[in-house]
Amino acid sequence: MASADGGAYSYSLTVFSPSGKLVQIEHALAAVSQGTTSLGIKATNGIVIATEKKASSILIDDSMLDKVSVICPNIGIVYSGMGPDFRVLVTKARKSAQAYWKIYGEYPPTRVLTQEIATVMQQATQSGGVRPYGVSLLVAGWDINRGPSLYQVDPSGSFWAWKASAIGKNMTNAKTFLEKRYNDDISLEDAIHTALLTLKEGFEGQMTEKTIEIGVVTVPTAAELEEGKIGGETGRPRPTFRKLSEEEVRDYLSL
Amino acid sequence: MPDMVNLSAHSQQHPQQRQFNPYTENGGTILAIAGADFSVIAGDTRQSEGYSIQTRYAPKVFRLTDRAVLAVNGFAADGNMFVKKVRQRLEWYRHAHAKDMPLRAIARLIQTMLYSRRFFPFYVYNILAGIEEDGSGAVYSFDPVGSYEREACRAAGAGQSLVQPFLDNQIYFKNQKAAHGTSHPAHLPLNTVLSLVIDSFTSATERHIEVGDGLEIYVVLSKGRPMHGLEGLRGMEEVTTTNDGERVFVIRRDLKKD
Amino acid sequence: MSIMQLNGGSVVAMVGKDCVGIATDMRLGNQALGISSEFQRVFPLTDRIYYGLPGLATDVATLRERFRYRVNMYTIKEEREIEPETFAHLVSSTLYEHRFGPYFVEPVIAGLSKTPSGGLKPFIAATDLIGCLNFAKDFVVAGTASEKLFGVAEGLWEPDLEPEDLFETISQTLMNAVDRDAYSGWGCTVHILTKDQVITRTLKARMD
Repeated sequence: MASADGGAYSYSLTVFSPSGKLVQIEHALAAVSQGTTSLGIKATNGIVIATEKKASSILIDDSMLDKVSVICPNIGIVYSGMGPDFRVLVTKARKSAQAYWKIYGEYPPTRVLTQEIATVMQQATQSGGVRPYGVSLLVAGWDINRGPSLYQVDPSGSFWAWKASAIGKNMTNAKTFLEKRYNDDISLEDAIHTALLTLKEGFEGQMTEKTIEIGVVTVPTAAELEEGKIGGETGRPRPTFRKLSEEEVRDYLSL
Repeated sequence: MPDMVNLSAHSQQHPQQRQFNPYTENGGTILAIAGADFSVIAGDTRQSEGYSIQTRYAPKVFRLTDRAVLAVNGFAADGNMFVKKVRQRLEWYRHAHAKDMPLRAIARLIQTMLYSRRFFPFYVYNILAGIEEDGSGAVYSFDPVGSYEREACRAAGAGQSLVQPFLDNQIYFKNQKAAHGTSHPAHLPLNTVLSLVIDSFTSATERHIEVGDGLEIYVVLSKGRPMHGLEGLRGMEEVTTTNDGERVFVIRRDLKKD
Repeated sequence: MSIMQLNGGSVVAMVGKDCVGIATDMRLGNQALGISSEFQRVFPLTDRIYYGLPGLATDVATLRERFRYRVNMYTIKEEREIEPETFAHLVSSTLYEHRFGPYFVEPVIAGLSKTPSGGLKPFIAATDLIGCLNFAKDFVVAGTASEKLFGVAEGLWEPDLEPEDLFETISQTLMNAVDRDAYSGWGCTVHILTKDQVITRTLKARMD
């Protein structure tokens, strides 16, 4: 089978092994599980997504690192795995959100955008000349239809909705921890603290505003919604997803 | 042969056509409604050329006699000259017959005057309103070359297509069915007519750029007809010249200026 | 002769109190020649959205199919019915895709949209042939009788009309406007959308 030119299986396609596995995808998942831990928790009045960010050298200017990304005013994502692959996906997701806006005059619901990203990731498992994306994503967003929702997308292109989940290096421990701490009527503030506590479990080194990134979805109040609907044709929608500033992260850490 | 090159370059003279266009369209709308023993005729006062407003007050409605009022719409210069010529003919008539010309005669006169210019027409749509010799309110409408008709109501000018179907509905009760055992009135009372006129112009002003600024409504009352409803109307003024005949009033209102 | 006036036809939509109306004539012509008095140019999209496509008849048919396709795809993908506002944007972007070789129609949209508090709000909109949206609060008109429709609607329409009064207002507006338009007429259809029903009536109109 193996020969100098690669032989019959030399196409750079993801190919089934005789046992029915796609080894390339499993390798991609291995790349993810080596990545830094990220997690997301859905609360009653919002969602928090968080990750640790560690620079491999103290010489790196870590203000440049961005691991939690805003896709559109109502959706943000975080990843575990390969940074460059994530960057490509962020660009594609942002373009997809803007394309949706150009057609419908509004930003996509979380589910639709997640599906869109998942399609991109799936295509990388079936196209020639490419490898699967080496990342898992947590997508957090709010829309009028389904309210706040948290999705995970894997390199295979499969996706699920979660109440709380973790991906990356310590995901098994983190998930166990979350299972213990999670309840259905947790508030956003509590969820942020739970997120930090969960990260702390497997954290090596000092947890500071420089080594933690947090993004939150806040559910708009009925009054805000009613207001937003008026003149919504021209005005930009009020963002429901935002990244916490370093000051805010520091405040949460000090509590 | 450099000479030949020069010759062919300069002798290429194309024939050019130039034309003088003697007409412009000055916008505005006029409208007239006949009642049983009165008639109402109105016009806005904006005069425009293209997208420019020439003046916010250029009357288009003119009292001819105590029983006849003429509104002219289209090319303002032709309109003014036409009114001048009609007035001259009416003056000659007075000198010859020692009385004002009857309305139906004025209408026929206007037809002859318009048709006499069949091949260089007055570029105007005329509406004549007043009181007939039998005391009834009447409206005559004309095309630029003199084709005319007596009607109960007519709109003309820039806002014609906005106003006329509205009047069809509200004056002729088109597409409306009278309640069982009743019938639609043949003539409307004066106050109803006045509010329809004002509504028509505010509507046309809202949607048409060439309509607006001011509104002049002339009301002609049949001989001996009581004023009821007309007296004390805001912006009203009597412009009658004789004592015991028909009476003419003008009501001036503002329209939106944007 | 403009392509927009080749087949004739007009549509008007009006807002009422917790209801909307959309009405159209039924003429299909070829310039001055009348071809059909049963032509449909107003279509239901969902239980709460109707839209009309006055303009070139061949494009009416094409766009109807295009919108059906795109809205069905939307419904399946998003697992929900499209809102009138969203549909209006879809219409706009579909038309603008053909900015330099447009479909010769001027769509009119009427619907009831969901408010965040769960109520229903009347919605109307119209676009030109390249999709420039006009969200009016009172009424929108389109087609060969549009100028006449503007005139009558401006005179007859008032705020907060109840369904039956809205029906009368929109019917009178349409009929008197198309009676003064040679390219529109030959029968009228009116739809009134309320929160629990859609009233559709064919009017007895002048057939000349």
